[in-house]
Amino acid sequence: MITIDNLEKFYRTEEVQTVALNKLSFQVKEGEFVAIMGPSGCGKSTLLNILGLLDDPDGGSFVFNGTEVSGFNERKRANLRKHNIGFVFQSFNLIDELTVFENVELPLIYTGVKTADRKTRVHEVLEKMGIMHRRNHFPQQLSGGQQQRVAVARAVVNNPKLILADEPTGNLDSSNGNEVMDLLTELNEAGTTIIMVTHSEHDAKYSHRIIRMLDGEKVTENVLV
Amino acid sequence: MIKNYIKTAWRNLLKNKVYSILNILGLAISLACFILIALYVVDELSYDRFHEKAERIYRINSDITMGESQSLPFTSDMMGPTMKQDYPQVEEFVRIYTSNGSKLLRKGNEFIQENRVAHADSTIFEVFTLPLIAGDPDTALKDPRSVVISESAAQKYFSSVDVLGETLETIQGTEYKITGLMQDIPSNSHFRFDFLFSMDNDIYRFGNHISHNFHTYLLLREGTTAQEIEAKFNDYMDRYVMPVAKQVLNINSRKEFEDAGNKLEYSLFPITRIHLYSDRVMEIRPGGDIQYVYIFSAVALFILLIACINFMNLSTARSAGRAREVGIRKVLGSARKQLIQQFLSEAMLMAALAMFLAVGITYLSLPAFNEIAAKTLSIQRIFQPDILVFLLVLPFLVGLLAGSYPALFLSGFKPVQVLKGNLNLGAKGGTFRNVLVVFQFATSIILIIGTIVVYQQLDYIQNKNLGFNKEQVIVVNETHVLGQQAPTFKNEVLEMTGIKNGTLSGYLPVSGSSRSDNTFSKEAVMSTESSFGMQQWIIDEDYIPTMGMELVQGRNFSKKFSTDSTAVILNESAAKIFGPGDVVGKKIYRVSNFETGELTSYEIIGVVKNFHFETLRQNIGPLGFMLGNSTGLASFKVNAANISQVLIGIEQKWESMSTGMPFSYRFMDEAFDEMYRTEQRLGKIALIFSLLAILVACLGLFGLSTFIAEKRIKEIGIRKILGASVNGLVQMLSKDFLKLVIIAFVVATPLAWYAMNQWLQDFVYRIEISWLYFAAAGFLALSIALATVSYHAVKAAMMNPAKNLRSE
Repeated sequence: MITIDNLEKFYRTEEVQTVALNKLSFQVKEGEFVAIMGPSGCGKSTLLNILGLLDDPDGGSFVFNGTEVSGFNERKRANLRKHNIGFVFQSFNLIDELTVFENVELPLIYTGVKTADRKTRVHEVLEKMGIMHRRNHFPQQLSGGQQQRVAVARAVVNNPKLILADEPTGNLDSSNGNEVMDLLTELNEAGTTIIMVTHSEHDAKYSHRIIRMLDGEKVTENVLV
Repeated sequence: MIKNYIKTAWRNLLKNKVYSILNILGLAISLACFILIALYVVDELSYDRFHEKAERIYRINSDITMGESQSLPFTSDMMGPTMKQDYPQVEEFVRIYTSNGSKLLRKGNEFIQENRVAHADSTIFEVFTLPLIAGDPDTALKDPRSVVISESAAQKYFSSVDVLGETLETIQGTEYKITGLMQDIPSNSHFRFDFLFSMDNDIYRFGNHISHNFHTYLLLREGTTAQEIEAKFNDYMDRYVMPVAKQVLNINSRKEFEDAGNKLEYSLFPITRIHLYSDRVMEIRPGGDIQYVYIFSAVALFILLIACINFMNLSTARSAGRAREVGIRKVLGSARKQLIQQFLSEAMLMAALAMFLAVGITYLSLPAFNEIAAKTLSIQRIFQPDILVFLLVLPFLVGLLAGSYPALFLSGFKPVQVLKGNLNLGAKGGTFRNVLVVFQFATSIILIIGTIVVYQQLDYIQNKNLGFNKEQVIVVNETHVLGQQAPTFKNEVLEMTGIKNGTLSGYLPVSGSSRSDNTFSKEAVMSTESSFGMQQWIIDEDYIPTMGMELVQGRNFSKKFSTDSTAVILNESAAKIFGPGDVVGKKIYRVSNFETGELTSYEIIGVVKNFHFETLRQNIGPLGFMLGNSTGLASFKVNAANISQVLIGIEQKWESMSTGMPFSYRFMDEAFDEMYRTEQRLGKIALIFSLLAILVACLGLFGLSTFIAEKRIKEIGIRKILGASVNGLVQMLSKDFLKLVIIAFVVATPLAWYAMNQWLQDFVYRIEISWLYFAAAGFLALSIALATVSYHAVKAAMMNPAKNLRSE
């Protein structure tokens, strides 16, 4: 599903050029659950942004579903993104002014799904996540665990092929964290590919494979199953 | 999708109440100003357009130079009929004669002074659109003793509109039969009469081509241009005016007349332009001024712009709060276009809310505005299609204007950066924001300087040495109704305690009194070289002392000299015509018989110091006093603390002599102020709008300083822990804004100086613009800005630093 080859990304300030990704290469197959680990500043987030089509690499190739996407412009990336990729963030990133229902509904609006269909699909996914009863609440009225479940619901409502999770349990206590990890595992078992950046060895154990990075390079890769 | 936008927009409004209130309030205030001014401007522009044939109706203006130049809206009584008779392109003419001023009409046992009266040709109903409710427009004014009255007048005199066949009696005992009832003439007309008397009346026939006393209107045939008719005027003059002028002035041709520096010119003036573009004295109603229409329109636009800028500045300054939302929406697949649409719909929603509020504000403030602007604008006017459509479209335009920059700015955020929070958002767009703040304050400062200059000029006018003393002078109106008794009335009032002096004369150096212009000669033969135009005022012996005027040569009129009936006292401007030196003892001559050209001589016995008898917009022209009976007004110089007591005395005296005529009086200083109503109105309106402009600008500054203080809260905390004083912090936070106000001041100064100098050019007598005005305006703007900003600066600086840092 994803093949990156010699991927490079630099950050420049006036005087120094920092290498964020240094000729990184790996593959992720459809249906896989991959965890990416490494210390702060090793390039995990940069990688995730590129994989999520939020950012463009400076070099190398990135093939997504058989299409070379490096060099795509913003509009093309946005289009590919909204149909294929769901995001889960450490800080949930729900829109405070919208209710749970409306937050989950947003991706469907942007992909042009009709009102009636949107309602059914949002209800379905809220039901599945066990937050149906909270659908008319605003994010601030929910606990952290509930907020992250809303975020996951929003990430999957469009049935994306790929979910990118950036430390999804980072802001949660362990029991809420485990719930979220269980959810992701369920989704993965239902066929969704998941790439997750994490600091937590515990969370990483839910994945099939751990890629460890340092200074923009892959250092080890352990297959867990 | 739109639903989602509006939902987010609405909740955003509620969530950031301070921000929303500042924005909506600022927009509402400025939109209300905008609506008020729009109503004013639309009304000003609508004058005389209700006449169905308005585009074909012209008034004949005359420009006459005989020594003095005169620009009159008059022609002779013969010109209208002659033009129609000789030139087939003239479809119809109508003359209006108002030179008699008011009329006293009987109602029951008393007489009421009516000012909205005129004599008019019966064609007035054909040329103008003045619908009759009853009566036949073709014949209504044919009979010499007929009158057409308005609905209001009918209600006033007969408490009924069924008035055809009734009669109205004037003080002279003449009875006029009511032959028509007309709808009240709309307020947006350059004439508004309640009584139209027949023109077919011997008293008002002059029958020559050189006495200019009639407002004459021509209705041109379809397809005829004004230029075509104007081209005929020379022909008209040669055939009709010159033969008469020849006799009076001893000239043989128009060329000879013109070579001597004289001029007689006729021109056509479209009636739709009279209200705003005519600056002639003796218009039927005082007009407006297109310049003020432009000024007010510009002010309205600028205030709206200031409010739009508030919106831009506040939106971009608090972008930090919206950035995350933008990031998330982009991650979820929103295109930039959709975000721009979202932010624009938010701006429009806000503008629409502001518009509702603005209509409310307009409704509440309209009576006060009408009072100041001397208008009768109605709130219903805004629901008429032309303005309504405009008001419905306006929120979209304002939304687009105010929202486009924030929309482009906000939608341009990169999701990767905003979601990681490593974007210094408040600082972004800072330069542009600063430019906008400078613009706002520069505009406000210009308005403040303008207001100061207008007020200073008014103050100058009111306190200028006018050459006469207008203080403590009571003017009793309409004393001619006392007839032969008028001098007795004057003498008896003079005997009352508290009365210092008194005079009987219809001629006063304030508006609302008589004027009479005549041609004089400084030699015993009237020639083009020797003749000059001069005001000729009829006064009595007590006039000069009562008015507090100063004689610079010779003596005042006196009963001791019987020859004073053929004597004249000149003002300095008239004396100057004789060149330098003493003029006492010299003579001036005036035509006393137009048929024969016979002259009468007057000996100059004195020269009075120049005094202002027209507004300070004009130079002081030549003027001569002559002794005679002019009983129109009685003026009394009062020397008493208790003026009301004196007034009661005068009124009792009046009632004992006047047999039921109404007593009316005015104070001369008030009558003087009357001449500067336009400027006073301008001053008040300018004051109000400049205050509103600065208020709206400060709303924005208040909002902006809130966000900046919030953004720097951590910095403030750290600085405080490191030992910064509250004072030092307030300075640090205020400094940036004050810098902007100072730049605005520097930008505003030359612009304001230029604009106000232009305005002052209208006055021959005017103030010099002082640097103090600028200093005052700058100081005012700076203090208001400082007060606004320091509220937040002090609040932020006083906060417990530990609390600020903990939130990190």
